[in-house]
Amino acid sequence: MASPKGQQVDLTSFSTQQLSQFKKQLDDELEHLTNSYTQLRAAQAKFRECIRSIATGVSSKIDGKTILVPLTTSLYVPGKLADTENVIVDVGTGFYVEKSTKDATKFYEAKVKELEINIKDLEAIVKQKSSNLSMVEDVLRQRVLSAGNASAATTTA
Amino acid sequence: MADTQQRLQGLSEQFQKLQTDLQNNIQSRQKLESQQQENKGVQKEFASLDDNSTIYKLVGPVLLKQDKAEAILGVDGRLELIGNQIKEVEKQIKEAQDKSEELKAQIIQAQTEAQEHGAQAQVAA
Repeated sequence: MASPKGQQVDLTSFSTQQLSQFKKQLDDELEHLTNSYTQLRAAQAKFRECIRSIATGVSSKIDGKTILVPLTTSLYVPGKLADTENVIVDVGTGFYVEKSTKDATKFYEAKVKELEINIKDLEAIVKQKSSNLSMVEDVLRQRVLSAGNASAATTTA
Repeated sequence: MADTQQRLQGLSEQFQKLQTDLQNNIQSRQKLESQQQENKGVQKEFASLDDNSTIYKLVGPVLLKQDKAEAILGVDGRLELIGNQIKEVEKQIKEAQDKSEELKAQIIQAQTEAQEHGAQAQVAA
């Protein structure tokens, strides 16, 4: 909200209580952002896995060969691919589109790229927030050090 | 004295309730946002599809074939609905924020009053 973005704000002009509140807010934001970061990475890995699956599992090379289809994680039945040209892709919100393997790969590659951009953006934000946080922490630490033991006890509480 | 104390408590209870409401509203705003993003992604994907591509819609456990025009209409409709919901939630958030600012001012006032009372009581004693 009122985070020092771009312009310089003199942190020493805030009260210790305000700084603590500020630190807490930054901590929360940072945690939220790091969580999002992990989620984005996971999603990207999932799309990469899809590309790999198409490349190794659905091609004319596989035509006629028997594959094992997982019914559960521990039960497989032999089967053959009826169509090695097309796959059905989940495009979100319950819609599925039939695509050629080439188009599907393109679709997933676009998704991976899109996520890469988001991840880069997020990284920059996380960096900014981290430096903000360490600045606030520095000022807080100085306060605690310069103040006597008695007031130090109240600021850390 | 007890009167101010009671008023203060009532106010802070109201304030707390308002904060929880605000949190809930913000959460639903976030959920709507991600839904909107997902639908926008689908819309974009549909726009780049050929007219003769096959689209399926997941209905319960089965995939039903659907017309492209129909699917696009469905997504557009959903986007509009989500847009309206977002507006609605944002209005609620705004209201809650205004109200909580108002309450904050009232609380601070009640607090200073309570302190003054306390000081007077001390002087009298």
